[in-house]
Amino acid sequence: MSVQSRSDGVNTSLFEKREHIEKLHRTRNLLRKVQFIYDLPARLGKCIKSEAYADAVKFYTGAMPIFKAYGDSSFQDCKRASEDAVAIIVKNLQGKLFSDSESIQARAEAAVLLKQLDFPVDNLQAKLLEKLEQSLWDLQLKTDEIENVSMDSNDPSKQGKVSDLSPTTAHEASVREFAEAIRAYRIIFPDSGRQLITLAQDLVINHFETTEQYVKRRISSANLLGVLRTIWADVLLMDEVLHEAVLPDFSLEAAQGAVKKYVASTFTYLLQDISDVLLRVNVSPKEAAEEHPLQVALEASRKAVLQGSMDVLLDFCQFLDDDLGLLVKLRDFIIDWVQEGFQGFLSALDDRFLLLSGRKNSSSPDQGLTEGAHSEKVLAGLVLVLAQLSIFIEQTVIPRITEEIAASFSGGGARGIENGPAFVPGEICRIFRSAGEKLLHHYVNMRTQRVSALLRKRFSTPNWVKHKEPREVHMFVDLFLQELKAIGIEVKQILPQGLLRKHWRSDSNGSTTSSRSNPLRDDKMSRSNTQRARSQLLETHLAKLFKQKVEIFTKVEYTQESVVTTIVKLCLKSLQEFVRLQTFNRSGFQQIQLDIQFLRTPLKEIVEDEAVIDFLLDEVIVAASERCLDPTPLEPPILDRLIQAKLAKLKEQNPITP
Amino acid sequence: MQGGSSGIGYGLKYQARCISDVKADTDHTSFITGTLSLREENEVHLIRLSSGGTELICEGLFSHPNEIWDLSSCPFDQRIFSTVFSTGESYGAAIWQIPELYGQLNSPQLERIASLDAHVGKINCVLWWPSGRHDKLISIDDENLFLWSLDCSKKAAQVQSKESSGMLHYLSGGAWDPHDVNAVAATCESSVQFWDLRTMKKTSAIERAHIRNANYDMKKKHILVTAEDESGIHIWDLRKPKIPVKELPGHTHWTWAVTCNPEYDGLILSAGTDSTVNLWLAPISAGDEPNSEGIAESPTQQADPLLNSYSDYEDSVYGLAWSSREPWIFASLSYDGRVVVESIKPFLSRK
Repeated sequence: MSVQSRSDGVNTSLFEKREHIEKLHRTRNLLRKVQFIYDLPARLGKCIKSEAYADAVKFYTGAMPIFKAYGDSSFQDCKRASEDAVAIIVKNLQGKLFSDSESIQARAEAAVLLKQLDFPVDNLQAKLLEKLEQSLWDLQLKTDEIENVSMDSNDPSKQGKVSDLSPTTAHEASVREFAEAIRAYRIIFPDSGRQLITLAQDLVINHFETTEQYVKRRISSANLLGVLRTIWADVLLMDEVLHEAVLPDFSLEAAQGAVKKYVASTFTYLLQDISDVLLRVNVSPKEAAEEHPLQVALEASRKAVLQGSMDVLLDFCQFLDDDLGLLVKLRDFIIDWVQEGFQGFLSALDDRFLLLSGRKNSSSPDQGLTEGAHSEKVLAGLVLVLAQLSIFIEQTVIPRITEEIAASFSGGGARGIENGPAFVPGEICRIFRSAGEKLLHHYVNMRTQRVSALLRKRFSTPNWVKHKEPREVHMFVDLFLQELKAIGIEVKQILPQGLLRKHWRSDSNGSTTSSRSNPLRDDKMSRSNTQRARSQLLETHLAKLFKQKVEIFTKVEYTQESVVTTIVKLCLKSLQEFVRLQTFNRSGFQQIQLDIQFLRTPLKEIVEDEAVIDFLLDEVIVAASERCLDPTPLEPPILDRLIQAKLAKLKEQNPITP
Repeated sequence: MQGGSSGIGYGLKYQARCISDVKADTDHTSFITGTLSLREENEVHLIRLSSGGTELICEGLFSHPNEIWDLSSCPFDQRIFSTVFSTGESYGAAIWQIPELYGQLNSPQLERIASLDAHVGKINCVLWWPSGRHDKLISIDDENLFLWSLDCSKKAAQVQSKESSGMLHYLSGGAWDPHDVNAVAATCESSVQFWDLRTMKKTSAIERAHIRNANYDMKKKHILVTAEDESGIHIWDLRKPKIPVKELPGHTHWTWAVTCNPEYDGLILSAGTDSTVNLWLAPISAGDEPNSEGIAESPTQQADPLLNSYSDYEDSVYGLAWSSREPWIFASLSYDGRVVVESIKPFLSRK
């Protein structure tokens, strides 16, 4: 026999044995597996005890297929026991996951294991994130606490730098915790990134919303700086753990809103302050304790405007001087906002002046206040104060503000060159100069209207055609002079004196002394009425060619004399117009003559241009004579007697001559 | 150039307050004016602008019994006009007719067509309806508004209705709405009253004191322009009479008269006691809301509404009239009896 056949024979005889061995082998494996299954609960228990959860999960997941196939029949008990064990494991893993005291690694591992166990990790994630969101609530700056936060933040001893290992304020501590949690969850739940970013951003948004509410109150820049510091610290803390949220840039946008609102709010309060000072003038003089209420008001309001503006600028400077990262980035914007703010504030101030002076009706047309009714409630004195204040603003305040802005708030705003600078002093100066003029005219108008009213009454009441002989100077001159006196008191308080250039009659050249200006004193009564009328008219044309007319309506200046003179001129012109509407008999004409003659002296004392006043008074007499059926003047002695009588009476009433 | 003599002048012998455009004369640009002299003999002048537009020619000179406080030409008959006059002690109002062929008569006399003699006391003015042939007249005295029925051929005027303005409302003047023959405005001390002539009752009012003159816009309905002594000129939309639509500064002293151009939108003339006549451009667009800001608008936002200021006068200007025939021409009258006729053509291009 050959070797081949011998080996084949051995092989064949061993074949059965081999099969048998393999069968036994297989059986042994099977038994091992069965053993494994039976051992599983115990093993799991051991793992639980030793907290070797990874192993436990590995074992269990290994056994899963068998449980799936035979779990209901042969291995029921095992399965149940294992499931119980796994339940415990899951519970422990959850506990681990939820526990903040575990290391992040451990918690992450727990999450992974739970996932392997087909446990709905997303729910857990959601729950955890929810918990985190709730903790946000504690982190939010509450409006009532914000003061404390800002003060803490400003206190140098408490100012904790981000790199400090020991957090100094409770708020900071909480934020650190929060940041830690974020960091943990980033690792534990790798796909929770977006939600975490949202949470972090929500915190920032909320911080700034609270801040925007805060700035509506009257606070200083220091307060706001404190709050911003706190917020920025929080942002940097969170930025460390959640870089993708780009929180610094995100908060920059939100910060813009808050700082801009602060700037606007500051200007609103300044406007309010100035307005309040001015409204105090509206107290009636009888109630006021001061002797010179207008002067006091002007000084107070000047201070309010100038000092107020300087203070505001100083306050805003704090923002630029501070080196907080957030503010450095906002620098350009802040410069623009301050400039725009002043531009807007000054415009609003101009509007407010016009509103206070009654020149502008209230903005809602439904209120329907007519200008006449409204201006009665406004004191003329206030209008004068506003006029002077406008000039002060134009000449002093705006240059100062321009200086300060050029020094601190210039150079590179964010507006872009094509828009031009935000603060345009030239325009504002023009606005206030124009406002000042309007207000001055308005004052003159208001005062003149009051006198007009009494003149109107004076001339429309009597029956001039049947007037009785003049017995005395009519009392309307007293009222007239009283009004002028009141005006004098007002202007003395506020307006400067002009250069005294009293225009004496004797100084003027011939052209101003027209022959018609003294028709009565020069005894031209001998001529016939008709002749005189004709020649007077001719003289009127000639004389008036020499510019007398122009002097009546000159521009009113910001001086005491100019304002008083203008008012007197307008009142006398009104007198002339009223006279022209009447028809007089001789006595009526004589009464006018008497009254006018009496007025001559007191009026010339208070005006700067006597010649014009003389002229206007003469014009009244001429107008009266033209309207008179028989213009025979009073004899000079009688005129003098009546005037002296009036003067004596006045002395009696006012024993102390001022 | 302001102050330079750009206008055409004509001198009345005495003082005068009233000038009226002779609207019914479609062949010539003419005006009628009358003197106000207490002691002299008063005259009515009919003046016409020459065809070259370079001088004012006196067409007719008529003697008038008393000083004339109000004068108004009849819009449909160029020879008829009304006057309110005073002897110094009492007032009267009458309708006059210039005789035919007056140019050929030696000293033509005015014919008195009718006397409006129902008045007692001071009469303010007589109003014709400006928009056409109408046989009614309104006269306003201190306390009453009269509506007259006029028959020129029969030379009679009869009171149709009369109404009192009420206690303490002293009337001073008025204007007849050119768009509504039944509506008339009457100015009084503290307001402008609006009357319906059919019922003779007040319908509404503008509460505003011391309006001296009111003038309706001939082209736009509901627009009334008023002149106030010290407060200047206001433009009102009568549908919303609480706040004026626009305000114009007026004059340095009182604004005595104001009149809207019959043809060009937004052109307003005003005459003042500061011896100037001002030409304003103040167009009202259809949708203009009542302007609650008044003159407080920023000067940079609006062009100056003052187009020109005519200052070539020696005394207060009381009379003002646009020509209907050539609406770029106006006549003005200052107290010293000087008529100045000007053309606003140079300023029309600025519109």
